[in-house]
Amino acid sequence: MNILKTTASRFLRLPNITSNFKYATAVETASKPQEVNEPIDKLYKTIELELRGNDSAVLNSFAKFATTAGKHLDVQSKSWNMRKPVHEKFTVLKSVHIYKKHRVQYEFRTYFTFVQYKHLTGSTADTLLEYVERNIPEGVALKATKVELQLLPDHLEPPKAE
Amino acid sequence: MSLVNLKQILTKCSLQQTQRSLLHTTAICNRVQSGRYRITAKKDFPLTYEMANPPHQIAHRKSWNSWNTSNLQGGLRSSETAVEDMFIRKFMLGTWHGLFVSEIIVKRQHNMIRVAGIIRQSISPRKVYFLIGYSEELLSYWLQCPTKIELQTVADRKDVIFKYI
Repeated sequence: MNILKTTASRFLRLPNITSNFKYATAVETASKPQEVNEPIDKLYKTIELELRGNDSAVLNSFAKFATTAGKHLDVQSKSWNMRKPVHEKFTVLKSVHIYKKHRVQYEFRTYFTFVQYKHLTGSTADTLLEYVERNIPEGVALKATKVELQLLPDHLEPPKAE
Repeated sequence: MSLVNLKQILTKCSLQQTQRSLLHTTAICNRVQSGRYRITAKKDFPLTYEMANPPHQIAHRKSWNSWNTSNLQGGLRSSETAVEDMFIRKFMLGTWHGLFVSEIIVKRQHNMIRVAGIIRQSISPRKVYFLIGYSEELLSYWLQCPTKIELQTVADRKDVIFKYI
């Protein structure tokens, strides 16, 4: 039984778990003595990166870089930019003194791109995110949202089938 | 005599509809002279590629001189970043006096500031290295960010000239 939690913050690590857990996909249970001391790696269902930039060409190139990096690590990755760009405009007077009818218009454009990685372990996620974040071009902002898979806590029991 | 006055006069003369509607007036935005250079009679004024393209070509044929995330949706510290960029440019132009033949590009990645530009090869490489170290040290101290200076050199000033006007 698994529950999903959507968050961008760290979770407390689960205590050491022996062989009576099941994930949705089959995973080898670790009951060797040396692995009991190591913390269990987290599992991420998706990691979504929201990229914002002033230049769409730079954003698209970086999204291509991020998806290619994921594919080299055998992570399913894709990118899309369905969110409309935001044009923030303002109009100011052209002249220092008088000439109210003559203005100048400026605008800032923010373009959005999204990159998604699916089905990662914690260590892969850390490595991939670190690599992508270190290679962000100037003028591009990144926000990472992680969706983690966790075990159902012990004090919650599934309803009895009766 | 402005276009608005002319339009008012024409409407009061009660002209036909077609003639009245040919005149369109808005707040005048289309006459600009910023970032544009006047053609000289002798055609000997040199322009670099950046100077030759007027500001409306930014994001088409030109790109920006400062690259940072302060002007995005949710970006922080836009005014401080702009002032710091102006300071960097003034400092670089003063320290490397008469050596820059291009605009000074300021790029910010995470905590790092990268200053880029093209200089002439008119002083010895030893002096160039000294100036690089000096600029990096002082800028890092003033801006409290690791600053890297990335310069390219050009033998002759004429190598960056795009056209003569």
